[in-house]
Amino acid sequence: MRKKFRQILGMATLSGKWIQRQPLWLFQGFIFTLGFAVTLFAWGRNLALKNLVVAYFITGSWGLGLNIIAQGIGWDRVYYFYDFYVASPVSLPIYFIGNVLGTLPFLLINLVPAMLIAMLIGMDISFLPLLLLLSIVSVMIGAFLSLSVILRLKNPTNISAITNPMYTFTTILPPIYYPLSLFPSMWREVALVIPTVSLMELGRVAAHIPTGCDPSLSFISLLLWLILSAVLVIKKLKWGLE
Amino acid sequence: MLDLMVAGKTTTIKILTTILRPSKGNAEVLDLNILKDHKEIRKRIAYLPQGFEINRNLTPLESIKWNLVLRGFSLSDAKLQAKKWIELMNLWSCRNRTGWTLSGGQRRKVTVAMVLATEADVIFLDEPSAGLDVEARHITWRVIRKTVEMGVTIILTTHNMKEAETIADVVILINKGETVIEDEPQRLINSLPNRYKVIVRKNCLTDISSSQAIDLGDRIILYVKSYRKVKGILSNLNDLTGVISVEKVGLEDAYLHFIYKGGNRDA
Repeated sequence: MRKKFRQILGMATLSGKWIQRQPLWLFQGFIFTLGFAVTLFAWGRNLALKNLVVAYFITGSWGLGLNIIAQGIGWDRVYYFYDFYVASPVSLPIYFIGNVLGTLPFLLINLVPAMLIAMLIGMDISFLPLLLLLSIVSVMIGAFLSLSVILRLKNPTNISAITNPMYTFTTILPPIYYPLSLFPSMWREVALVIPTVSLMELGRVAAHIPTGCDPSLSFISLLLWLILSAVLVIKKLKWGLE
Repeated sequence: MLDLMVAGKTTTIKILTTILRPSKGNAEVLDLNILKDHKEIRKRIAYLPQGFEINRNLTPLESIKWNLVLRGFSLSDAKLQAKKWIELMNLWSCRNRTGWTLSGGQRRKVTVAMVLATEADVIFLDEPSAGLDVEARHITWRVIRKTVEMGVTIILTTHNMKEAETIADVVILINKGETVIEDEPQRLINSLPNRYKVIVRKNCLTDISSSQAIDLGDRIILYVKSYRKVKGILSNLNDLTGVISVEKVGLEDAYLHFIYKGGNRDA
């Protein structure tokens, strides 16, 4: 058990060292999230900020899975780190968990401002456990979905050119930073097909923010995404003997 | 392992390291079956893939240390081991510099150290000296031999015949995925029909019909059985300044001989 813990620590350090060596990424992220919060407060006051707290949990974890973790694994395959790890005592769970833990500091960009805002506007933080649970689901679906695409590319020379638009499409365009209720009623249920919209809707339920749809539909959508993305990635993410 | 450019050495290595599944047949590493016992094999091997690069955000010391921790070493053992291999690879002066500031040769030496430091039972090195200058190559060769002396089995692929001749105990020639011959380098060389090769400018030659030869454009390699015949070739030249070199045959010549079944390739 201690050996496995050490292995996870090793993987986490190797995959997350770039955050320590290039801290300006974090700084840039903080400036963006704080600036965005100020903008939303100017237009929408406390309700906009309450929604933003939830959105920062969801988009932060979604970006971690979809962009950071999946890109890391994708580049590991391009630059032969993947083969290097396969031909060693490292197992796939240790590799994956280590990668997730190593890049977790990147989540601070969203979570620290989210908690600061929540305190400033006096939000009841009893929603936190449920939001953290949703964040874990968000990381998993994001990573699985992104990997299921990246691993199917025959020439993955520019992985970020694929994952970045995926992130933008799933976070900026759909009702994440604005309410789902702005959509015509018939389109609200359709929008739940996008996993980030369903995650947000459940997050809003947890934070007592008005929602636009029956939460059970969001739950079903996420469950289906979790199963589908896991199946898609399991078919492609082989740990040796390919 | 020596081979032509697309003969299948990397595929062979990837099968032995349990990365690829063989399309047919089977293989054993350390008396373990690669299909049934791949988890056990992985605990006892280490692999340096061709073209592998270090994570440039890490220093050489960190790269080696954390990869050892990843394999299950304790932090203190990993640190000691990393320092030892940093010294052996002559990387001490740059041990705390990130990969961004290292030269290509230094980065390559770090990758070799990352794998050798594992001191696994079997270590696979796919073109470890590619891109290294002469001095760095010699350091790498010295460290590889030291590792072999420690009882570690190293399977190394290379296109560099001098490298194979200098550091290999056994050489396997591969062509189109098949083993052509396997033996000690010197025995392979000794089994050649010719002992010497003379490289000369073609325009200085009067007659090459009696020699086995390889055409190099305006120059030619002539293979001969004895030093007496070397003298014969030299005496027949119309200009002695046309002699590029006279030397004993080596592994490169053995490679050509066995791959092309002893026949002239193109002369």
